[in-house]
Amino acid sequence: MRTRIICIGNPFIAADAAGPMVHDILAGRSLPAAVELVDGGLAGLRLLPLLEGCDQVIVVDAVEGFRDEPGIVILDPAALPPVPVDYGHQAGLAYLLQAAPHVLDPPLPAIVVVGIEGPATDAICREAARICLDTVGSASGRPCRLQPVCAG
Amino acid sequence: MSENRKKTIDVALNRVEGDLELRIEHEDGVVTNAWSKGIMYRGFENMLKGRGALDGLVLTPRVCGICGTAHLLTAAKALDMISGAQLPVNALLVRNLAMMAEHIQSDLRHGILMFMQDCHNPAYASLPLYGEAVRRYQAFKGRSVIGAIGMTKKILEIVAILGGQWPNSSFIVPGGVASVPTFNDIVNCTYIINLFTTWYEEQILGCPLERWQQVRSEQDLQAWLDESDAHRDGDLGFFIRFARLVGLDRLGRGHGNFVSFGQLELPQGSAVRGRTADPLLLAAGFIGQGQAPAGCDQELVTEHVAYSHFVDYPGGLHPSEGLTQPYVSPYEIIKYSFCKAPRYNGRPAETGPLAQMLTSGHPLFADMIAAGGPNAYVRELARLTRPAELLPAMKTWAGEIDPEAPFYHSVREIPDGHGYGLIDASRGALGHWVEISRQKIAHYQIITPTAWNGSPRDHDGVRGPWEEALIGTPIADPDNPVEIGHVIRSFDACQVCSVHLLTNNAPATGRSRCVRV
Repeated sequence: MRTRIICIGNPFIAADAAGPMVHDILAGRSLPAAVELVDGGLAGLRLLPLLEGCDQVIVVDAVEGFRDEPGIVILDPAALPPVPVDYGHQAGLAYLLQAAPHVLDPPLPAIVVVGIEGPATDAICREAARICLDTVGSASGRPCRLQPVCAG
Repeated sequence: MSENRKKTIDVALNRVEGDLELRIEHEDGVVTNAWSKGIMYRGFENMLKGRGALDGLVLTPRVCGICGTAHLLTAAKALDMISGAQLPVNALLVRNLAMMAEHIQSDLRHGILMFMQDCHNPAYASLPLYGEAVRRYQAFKGRSVIGAIGMTKKILEIVAILGGQWPNSSFIVPGGVASVPTFNDIVNCTYIINLFTTWYEEQILGCPLERWQQVRSEQDLQAWLDESDAHRDGDLGFFIRFARLVGLDRLGRGHGNFVSFGQLELPQGSAVRGRTADPLLLAAGFIGQGQAPAGCDQELVTEHVAYSHFVDYPGGLHPSEGLTQPYVSPYEIIKYSFCKAPRYNGRPAETGPLAQMLTSGHPLFADMIAAGGPNAYVRELARLTRPAELLPAMKTWAGEIDPEAPFYHSVREIPDGHGYGLIDASRGALGHWVEISRQKIAHYQIITPTAWNGSPRDHDGVRGPWEEALIGTPIADPDNPVEIGHVIRSFDACQVCSVHLLTNNAPATGRSRCVRV
């Protein structure tokens, strides 16, 4: 199984720095050969090509409004609430995930979002990195060792 | 006119620009005043000070999530100048191809996914073209939308192929490009250009590129539209029919000043030629209202802060001397935007594809501006048809890359000095002004296209381009001011790209607003 971990965000904006922080943590680890780590930056819809050519995609991004307390939430794109369908410069992950089934040739990879709600502390980001690695290759698309902090 | 008839709308144009707000004052259904507010301090200039000389190559592409290649190229050009680098032909070709791919994806994503979305605004539900607009542009269902997402994804693969990395490609460096495309890479690029051209001809133009290039005046445009059903049924034909139906040509006039920094250097020996004697495919220039195009002299660029949330200085400063010291006071009554106000020779100027077509001598747009002045219709027409200018040159340039020749001339270090990089990004004139001292960045100033178009008032109280363009705009329904959206979107505002959060409480329509009476 080929897995791609795509970390999204802007390292220069604190509210959006979670993805890049997790990327840096994972970049310092030895990853399995079948795992590709990608700094997705601010690419938004430009990430479409990265949803091709693999079996599993784990997206790491800052999220807002998915849990009451700061922490990590595991999201299934198919179960995400409706998002604005208008494209704009602010169109990010939500638009990307909604567009993918319409424009990419099947089969689509299994996609899971590891969302970080609230401040991207070092501890939270390390936990998110661990969850990413636990999710690699998981047939259910969920981490193999689900911890309470992950409950969405 | 009694004062109490004036009403104010604050429009948070989410679909255009999350960090942009407009305050519109209208009276008797017509906009009488406007204020464009950038509501986020960016501060890249201060972030860059004291960092390594090459750091702008990595950091400034993060200024924008859509125009990363443009910022990378502009940063590299400034360092090319400081280091006196002479670029190999291959480097120019690769740089050009990457920029053109970025422009084309931007033009069509904006045109089809953003601008044309308004064609099925509920305000137009009773119009005869409404049903057709829904079939074409309904999100994730319309055939034009699906095609545009898929094919713009395809054209961007050229940047990935040439840059060797995707996303956040950093392959443009002082002295050339760091990647060395193989023969197979070039074949792949040519295949993508051909594939995209076929789709663009069939879906957007409804005719071959060569037929469209024969359209050199408004009279030619009418003849082209009348010529066949295929022309009328393409997205361009639909846009023209829709624009005439709702009167887009009566919206968004503005100051009538245009600035372009030009772009796409013509490599020595290339078969590609521009329309002018400029060494660029799309020439740089400035056009004052009603005047002939003149050259563009970056020495005449200044930034004003009288109405911006920055520490005051008199008049305007050239970017090489620019100051970026944010200042906000609870007692402030004058300053209203975190955008500075760029001016060319003291005058506001709009920038973008229309400015680019005019300064580079495109006869159709010169004719349309001479006849009716600038407006939302001609602005968007320039954007939708810019790929027709770029695709033939792309194909030629891809074929001119010699995989055996150099792509880079060594630049061992960046010496002390001043330099600037000027290009036209997808939305218009983009400039980086840089000073290097002892291998570090001593000064960095960036003027983006949206800073030009969305600027607040300047030292003399003169409105920015789209503030001025909104004056006189009729508003049929203040609760759904679609006319304002047409005007602002014709400039393709961009400022929000630094933050993308996945949110669970985003507004359902992207048109949140509050009305203040």
